[in-house]
Amino acid sequence: MSFDVIAFITSLLVSTVQAGTIYLLATVGEIYAERSGVINLGLEGMIIMGALTSFIVSFYTGDYLLAVLLAVLAGLLMSLLHAFISISLKVNQYVSGIALTILGLGLSGFLGRPLTGMTVEKVHEIPIPVLSDIPVVGPAFFKQNVFVYVSYVVAILGWYVLFKTRIGLNIRSVGENPSMADSLGVNVTLVRYGATLFGGALAGLAGAYFFIGYQPFWVEGMTAGRGWISIALVIFAAWSPLRAIAGAYLFGGVEALQFRMQAFGYGTATPQFMLMLPYALTIAVLIMLSHHSIRKRIGVPAALGIPYSREE
Amino acid sequence: MMLKITRRGSISRSFSALITSIFLLLAFLAGSALFLYAGVNPVEAYYAVVQSFVNPLLLAESITRGIPIMLVSLGLAIAFRMNFWNIGGEGQLYMGMFAATGVVLWNLETHVIPDLLLLPVMFLASFVVAGLWGVIAAVLRAKLEINEVLTTIMLNYIAILFVDYLVYGPWKDPHGYGFPLTKPFPPSALLPSIPGTHVNMGLAIGIIAAFLVHVLLSRSKIGFEIRVTGDSFSAARYAGISYFKIATTVMMISAGLAGLAGLTIVSGIIGRLRPRASPGYGYTGIIVAWISGLNPWLIIPVSILFGGLLVAGDTLQSAMRLPFAITQVFQALILIFVIMSEFLKKYRIQIGGVKI
Repeated sequence: MSFDVIAFITSLLVSTVQAGTIYLLATVGEIYAERSGVINLGLEGMIIMGALTSFIVSFYTGDYLLAVLLAVLAGLLMSLLHAFISISLKVNQYVSGIALTILGLGLSGFLGRPLTGMTVEKVHEIPIPVLSDIPVVGPAFFKQNVFVYVSYVVAILGWYVLFKTRIGLNIRSVGENPSMADSLGVNVTLVRYGATLFGGALAGLAGAYFFIGYQPFWVEGMTAGRGWISIALVIFAAWSPLRAIAGAYLFGGVEALQFRMQAFGYGTATPQFMLMLPYALTIAVLIMLSHHSIRKRIGVPAALGIPYSREE
Repeated sequence: MMLKITRRGSISRSFSALITSIFLLLAFLAGSALFLYAGVNPVEAYYAVVQSFVNPLLLAESITRGIPIMLVSLGLAIAFRMNFWNIGGEGQLYMGMFAATGVVLWNLETHVIPDLLLLPVMFLASFVVAGLWGVIAAVLRAKLEINEVLTTIMLNYIAILFVDYLVYGPWKDPHGYGFPLTKPFPPSALLPSIPGTHVNMGLAIGIIAAFLVHVLLSRSKIGFEIRVTGDSFSAARYAGISYFKIATTVMMISAGLAGLAGLTIVSGIIGRLRPRASPGYGYTGIIVAWISGLNPWLIIPVSILFGGLLVAGDTLQSAMRLPFAITQVFQALILIFVIMSEFLKKYRIQIGGVKI
């Protein structure tokens, strides 16, 4: 069988980065929310609302920048609701998040129905001079669309802000020990709102990328658990935006492999087992990490999921 | 403008009911916006919702659709009570449908189980198989401290795809004209109707289950351990309660009940197995359990209410071409508004000079 190994690996890597970008954007956002002590289980709903918004806006106006901005706004609004319910009303964060995921899946299914089967043109790649000429790695990392480049910036800058700046210190201290942070003059509520909203904005951006930058065909429920996997990736990343890169491309790689194997005729008779792969891998990854995290407990914000009220 | 939140003392039952009603009304008002967007008169749309409870035939349908919600929700209430976030009702329900259907298909070939015993065997199989599926998450949580939300969600996707595989593959009816359906169940595998009604025996199973869950939670030693664990993990450990034992027991029962919900779908509603046989009963169950305050008796009427919403969704879909997803939006809206009303019952809000 004549078969160009280099070309195959290159194309696999290209799709790995493309599929992984959704996870990367969403995971970094969730890391910020969780670092401040707020777990956002509404991620799945926010991503799909971002995707739908970018679809509707680009379909009717053709304005891609507006599409992205409004998708981010959709994520922001949903996370504002989550922040209000879980931070201000101090209702169980799990319940609030699940409600928002159901709302997002339902609302996108409802609003997207008339547009089923419609499509828009995908955002074009912008090759970065010189870098994109490097064999294999070049096309994978430096011949992608603008969303992918933004995701690099989000991960690297996200790490820098979280660990090297005053803002990051405040976010982490609020998630670690809110009453201590409060006594040192940090506005716990404000920081938590900010971090949760940032997470929602990135979820909206992930959705916009998913649709106009990756797979511009509307299918009801098209996120297919990617939001939930991103929440699991936060644990994989040990709450660090830099480590999120590895997790995102691991799952991006699985997705890329799924497509390739189907193209080679594997699993065409029983595609279901192939489709199970990311979900099974998520459980496997959580199991493999558990020993490590029990011993070291790196990263887990101590006040994760606990509403803060000043004792008066 | 100053926003001040203070804790309320106890409030009267009628005030509490008033707040809940106002917020439910607000949820439906928010829903009206969707109808207007879709070009449907909200009054006509809500008329369909009312019909689901007024028209006797539709009411029977609402109760029938409420049965699986009820069973899933009762199971979830037990898990939530111990602070175990079982989001896997949907997958556990699919495993129940798988087990019940497996028994029927096997018996169609072998005729080992006599007709009278077929339903009891299916009942047992769906409870045990779904229960064990749920226990996976309990073991991972108890032994390896793995977050149960993530494992149960992932197991949902896997269970649904597994049933897809069976129905598109080895279990497909060879005489089904290529449709992804199993052979139809024989009459002995169908839940009989309650005499004089169009509602199947699943309702009786649901009510008995509510009674048993009530007894389990408030009158038994396990119930005590569940409540202690739910209130404080460290207190439970101090009291010598084994988390492993209690988590696996709770998940066996919780997921087992979801499995029975699956049985009531294949044996009570569809009469065979097909892909995506549940329109998200497992997720609806989460909402119902929460807005019922995890109270098993309250879960019964609330489930029927949500069953009615699904029936209304069908009507709206066929009569006004509204996407069925609108029922999902309503479920979420109701949950969000009820959460807000619960807050108002506990806290007094003062904005400037206005007190609520």
